[in-house]
Amino acid sequence: MIERIKTALARCGITMWRINENVEETAELFFVKKQLDTRRSKDVRKYGVTVFRDVENPEGEKPSRGFTSVQLISSMDDGQIDRELQGAYYAAQFAANPYFDLPDPVQAPMVEKTGELAEAPLAQSAGKMVKALFAADVHQDAFVNSAELFVSRSSHRILSSEGTDVSYTDAKVKGEFVVQCKEPEDVEMHNIYEYNELDGEALSAKVAEALTFVRDRARAQKVLKSGKYDLVLSGNQVATVLSYYEDRSAAHMVYPKYSTWQLGEAVQGETGSERLDITLRATDPYSEEGIPMADLPLLEGGALQAYHGANRFCRYLGVKPTGLYEKLSCANGTLPFEELKKGPCLWAVTFSDFQMDVMSGHFGGEIRLAYLIEDGKAIPVTGGSVNGSILDAQKNLTFSTERYLTARYDGPYAVRMKDISIAGAGE
Amino acid sequence: MFSTIDRVKPGLQKLVAALRETYPYASVLAVTDDSRAWQIRRSGVVIAANRDGGTGFVVRVFDGVGCAEYSFNEFSEDKIPDICAVMAKRLAEQNAALEGIAPLPTPIPADEPAVLKKTTGWKVHPRELGDEAIVNKITALREKALAVDERVLDAAVAVTYRSYRKLFLSEHRDLDQTVMWTNAAVVVMAARGQELKSAYHPFSVLGGAELLDRMEAGVEQVARDALALLDSQPIPPGEYDCVCDPETTGMIVHEAFGHGVEMDMFVKDRALAREFIGQYVASPLVTMHDGSAVEEAATAFFDDEGTLTGDTVIIDKGILKRGMCDALSAARLGVEPTGNGRRESYERKAYTRMTNTYFQGGDADPEEMIASIEDGFLLESPSSGMEDPKNWGIQCMVTTAKEIKNGRLTGKIYSPIVLTGYVPDLLKSVSMMSRTAVLCGSGFCGKGYKEWVKVSDGGPYMKARIRLG
Repeated sequence: MIERIKTALARCGITMWRINENVEETAELFFVKKQLDTRRSKDVRKYGVTVFRDVENPEGEKPSRGFTSVQLISSMDDGQIDRELQGAYYAAQFAANPYFDLPDPVQAPMVEKTGELAEAPLAQSAGKMVKALFAADVHQDAFVNSAELFVSRSSHRILSSEGTDVSYTDAKVKGEFVVQCKEPEDVEMHNIYEYNELDGEALSAKVAEALTFVRDRARAQKVLKSGKYDLVLSGNQVATVLSYYEDRSAAHMVYPKYSTWQLGEAVQGETGSERLDITLRATDPYSEEGIPMADLPLLEGGALQAYHGANRFCRYLGVKPTGLYEKLSCANGTLPFEELKKGPCLWAVTFSDFQMDVMSGHFGGEIRLAYLIEDGKAIPVTGGSVNGSILDAQKNLTFSTERYLTARYDGPYAVRMKDISIAGAGE
Repeated sequence: MFSTIDRVKPGLQKLVAALRETYPYASVLAVTDDSRAWQIRRSGVVIAANRDGGTGFVVRVFDGVGCAEYSFNEFSEDKIPDICAVMAKRLAEQNAALEGIAPLPTPIPADEPAVLKKTTGWKVHPRELGDEAIVNKITALREKALAVDERVLDAAVAVTYRSYRKLFLSEHRDLDQTVMWTNAAVVVMAARGQELKSAYHPFSVLGGAELLDRMEAGVEQVARDALALLDSQPIPPGEYDCVCDPETTGMIVHEAFGHGVEMDMFVKDRALAREFIGQYVASPLVTMHDGSAVEEAATAFFDDEGTLTGDTVIIDKGILKRGMCDALSAARLGVEPTGNGRRESYERKAYTRMTNTYFQGGDADPEEMIASIEDGFLLESPSSGMEDPKNWGIQCMVTTAKEIKNGRLTGKIYSPIVLTGYVPDLLKSVSMMSRTAVLCGSGFCGKGYKEWVKVSDGGPYMKARIRLG
């Protein structure tokens, strides 16, 4: 198929292009309680083609450069492929943007992922993870209500008119599960997971922790009063808060001046607490554009070290294109979690949907379970919502020494912030 | 366009017949997809084609264990033996790896005979209008927004259309539909130091590029809304009398209530609504519909499991009548499916999903509703929401709360706003509804944090008592 596409590109007179071949195979399982709901599997092979076109500008100026992408599949006949490519090439002239160089060419042998997840039959891996998921589900009062599991294996090849030809394989296991506790209140909590290895132990531990939390949510009271609190966030919420720094330093935010951050700038501002040390982690050997990915120090001591992003915007900023990252790590952490959450404070454990608005810096969500910690007591509470601003909160951040690791985050388990606005419940 | 389906249809019919030799039920859904998106903002112009949905196939069978599916995107008649063999091998491997795990009892859904071939309409096909005209149009709209005030940092204008043809074949069903929707949005940003404020206005139509003509009027107002947000402040938390604009009503319909009556949640014992069928859950002013009785972006003639669609009355004058249901959940619950079995794409599982979901209009005027409030807010521009079917907890966010004092808008604006509370409390507090329900289908809906499908929602202006924070 790749040769067919190359031939079609030549036939259409398209000289600048990139082809992404993505092949994926999955095994997918769906459960209601411990009963099997549905089995699914998938075999798909897709070809994404991006075509570039220069539009001449007045003499002495570089041409503008436009691009458009299309998806092709092998069951298309040559006439259909030609029509899609010609349509994209025609459209590209109307998407003409300031000139940018295409990514530098890279050729390398395939980078193959190894290990059990990458090598074992998918059905077998799915079976193992299902057993791990239900291993902690042994209680009468709190249990797994429903679960989904997706095991996938994929291969990716990136070619370009500039001479790039790289490829790699990947394997992932991800999904979600809902835990439920019926007494004294009938409640549930939604959880998502994602691993790059066949890490049944981590999944079992996550389920066990979720069962503990849902049991506490069942006895949580709607007694939270509105006001300002010292707020402790943990797990995925810490990653969500820190994503603000990743997003604000992205080249596609800086180039249009949505972010005014400068390299070397103390973007955390004046702070009376921990200064942030954040690194973006490469999880794939190449970006979608064929850019070799490497770990990138982003913030050191709260100061911006690098911009990051896709080729076009990095070129515009005059920095080396890094590709798009999917994992953030944070080196901070000064207090053991037990000390960090010494009262008075509100430890908000789970939300219906916790969000960080990169534009405004506001973060928040509706509280599903929190612990109101005071005088050595931790009272489970539910309801109400957090409405904070990272622009204020970043002046007083304290992180736990305990770590939290997922496919997209490697950093402190918890963070404490001062004077965060909470809308109460049950008043 | 979409002639590929005609070419492969005889082969797909043979595939269903071949699978029926092994399995008591077999069906195939074939999807061909054509979409394109145009966007302009300060960072440039982007045109992306054929990135939504995708073209491919999903086969569903029932074996001795239960329901199983196989998704693929390479098909020709000579591949039929391979597809049958792959399915048999995968099922054998998976069943072996799951030894000891019992299946969820699921009767095979009915396969009543049905034949249908329908197409939705459009006035201007975006492909015929062409890339140049569309880029010129959105460029002009952007410039109009930028010209409103020098404090406008950027204006982004985007237009997307998706046209798809779906073919559903089983032993007794031969269903064929072609649908086109078009969406657009104007986002205007203004900066206050490091904080960026943005205002947003969506547009949608079950149709084509005729939507572009509707965008002209709203652009400058979006810019003025963004500038007004620069002077906004956090709201004092509390419970207030509120008037929701139709978009905010739509978010409450969809997020706060709609997800709770998706009946796959009944199967999982995850929806409180199951216990309230036949009871008052809302004010008698509230009547709620879901389905394809209206023409909006989620309108379809059949769903992704081959069930014909219609108009489902969920709440009738305050009383919860029924939920909406996919075919598998309906079989498990012993009820009729409502045509709500929808997939993100041929690559994904079908779940119970909303389509066009809305509250019916009432008999008040928006001005009269505002005049009736002594101390409260007009809520506008919903930004996000999350469901809680188990506990009917509300989490919705809107961008703007406009202060109302003594029946008048004061001009003071609060932002951002989190709506919280208990769904029936809010719905029972509804005391006024304006006459006309307005729907918008510019968004996608997720199930949990994934499975994005096109939906529309809306309703009239609605007065209710709501906890804000």
